[in-house]
Amino acid sequence: MSPNPSPRPTPRRTTALLLAAGTAGAALVVRRALRRRVQGSPLWPLPALDPPVSGRPRSRALTLLVTAHERLADGVVRLRLEGTDLPRWEPGAHLDLVLPSGLVRQYSLCGDPEDTSSYTVAARLVEDGRGGSREVHEQVQEGTELEVRGPRNRFPLVEAPSYVFVAGGIGITPVLPMLRALPEGTDWRLLYGGRTRASMPFLEEIEKLDPDGGRVTVVAEDEDGRPGLDAFLADLPEGAAVYCCGPEGLMAAVAERLPEGAALHLERFAPRTTADGDAEFEVELRRSGRTLTVPGDSSVLAAVRTELPNTPYSCEQGWCGTCQQKVLEGEIDHRDELLTDSERGDSMLICVSRCLGTRLVLDM
Amino acid sequence: MSNKHVPLKARKVSFAWEDTPLHWVPGDPFTTHTINVLHLLLPAGERWFVHVYKQVLPYIRDERLREDVIGFIGQEAMHSQAHDEVLPHLRDQGLDPTPYTAQVDWLFEKLLGDRTLPPGRPRRWWLLERVALIAAIEHYTAFLGDWVLNAEALDRRGADPTMLDLLRWHGAEEVEHRSVAFDLFVHVDGDYARRVRTWATAFTALVFLWQRGTRFFMANDPTLADGRATFRDFHRRGRQGLLPSTGAITRSIPGYLSRAYHPSKECSTEQAVAYLATSPAAVAASAAEKSQEGAA
Repeated sequence: MSPNPSPRPTPRRTTALLLAAGTAGAALVVRRALRRRVQGSPLWPLPALDPPVSGRPRSRALTLLVTAHERLADGVVRLRLEGTDLPRWEPGAHLDLVLPSGLVRQYSLCGDPEDTSSYTVAARLVEDGRGGSREVHEQVQEGTELEVRGPRNRFPLVEAPSYVFVAGGIGITPVLPMLRALPEGTDWRLLYGGRTRASMPFLEEIEKLDPDGGRVTVVAEDEDGRPGLDAFLADLPEGAAVYCCGPEGLMAAVAERLPEGAALHLERFAPRTTADGDAEFEVELRRSGRTLTVPGDSSVLAAVRTELPNTPYSCEQGWCGTCQQKVLEGEIDHRDELLTDSERGDSMLICVSRCLGTRLVLDM
Repeated sequence: MSNKHVPLKARKVSFAWEDTPLHWVPGDPFTTHTINVLHLLLPAGERWFVHVYKQVLPYIRDERLREDVIGFIGQEAMHSQAHDEVLPHLRDQGLDPTPYTAQVDWLFEKLLGDRTLPPGRPRRWWLLERVALIAAIEHYTAFLGDWVLNAEALDRRGADPTMLDLLRWHGAEEVEHRSVAFDLFVHVDGDYARRVRTWATAFTALVFLWQRGTRFFMANDPTLADGRATFRDFHRRGRQGLLPSTGAITRSIPGYLSRAYHPSKECSTEQAVAYLATSPAAVAASAAEKSQEGAA
């Protein structure tokens, strides 16, 4: 290169200038275009996942204040739990209450679903129970703070031409909001059984829902004897949805008498138990073609690991979600705190959850 | 010994965010939002770690490493959940993170997710590539964990104690399990070229995501009229100890690329375990676990 003393721009210098100006102009245009896109989509050019997953925590535990603890009937208390901006629920939903001792118990919601400032549940004292109901009755008081999970619904009110409800004792709690939610003119009937009228909660309110009589049959064992299920379930209307919540014996009796084709919805709270703890059940691993027995004092995970040692798991307490598996058949006794309602439909956390019946089929 | 092996165990923590202000480092939105980017990246990112590690379990031939990986999975699952719970709180305060997190979700669920590959070598290659990526990212989570455990400047500035506990509980567990991802990578592969390649990818992606995240928060913060974020802001906070310093970040690069690298040579397990013994969230978690065992 030779020095160029001439003040006149040479063609080479003109080219360089033009190039620089062009580059600067292009950079400016690119910058503006990029800025506009980034404003609309912060990680442009990445697309967004639809629907997004993050930012919708699945298990937001709430701490609620007990603001009422009152006797509702013999051996039944009603709790009112207050908070702010509580998640809404549909009739049939239940809450998990974490009691001060750490025990977790489930109670059906029986207040107003539209109320986002409080939840209402009712609990019966089970004399020979596992201690949860006694704690609710005797330890929990007005002013106690309780951790609550849910609400969740595994007993939803489906659309049907007519409804038949069978409730035993405290089993009335999930049914009550359903009755209130049924549109005017719906064809429904209810059989409500209990030991004595004094021990049956919400009697007055139920009778008010049936001003003309004829829809509600109340059967108190000490006055009327056993409920006449045969007569009540005879000539079910075509397509009727049958809802039953109550003691195991009542639910079995209803299931037995139901004609083929009728849709039965059951709400179970207590899993089958033996005298001291959980019952044994069978697990079939469909893809591996093996069947295992899960003893009462052990978990599905432990049984599965003997056959499939690479089964993923981690916390073994039902909150990390690593051991979630698909369930093909069987009624699941969910004992985790993590899964959403839709996940609970066809999957379980095998480290803590068990079986409500005698057999589960897993897709593994 | 300061870095002896501790068995890994996930802690089920929970945090109440009602009392945490929008600018939880008082008067310093830039520092607040730079650290807040963690809440944007970690829920999807750590969920993805768990997803990948579940698939790698069958390749592990060492019992102790397998136990470590199992503990690691639970800790990461909990980290993801804990940071996820902060997002609704940000939304309540008028700073909706969804436009950003939905894209991070896509990045981890789709771009880095399982691909329809023929079984055998291609599928294994994609798994190893992701395992190596996680090892590189874990180098930085341990770096950040160690930093936040020692970031006394945040305490002096009066940062929100609940947020500090979340960051330090998480940071301490990251320091506690800092060797697992690298050991796993070495166990199943360990190829140096892959380590360099995946480090370059992870580092570039982290820088890209982080600066965009900080800018996103600053621009959308309802209390800031013209929220901007510059490299100078970052460098200055680094010198004040409110954020990791530019120098420390630069020095961590040759660390990971050195052939003699092992995470156990950095950070202090002792400090992490000591923090976990006093962290309000971790202490509450172990108390709840004990009472549950007593009840069962």
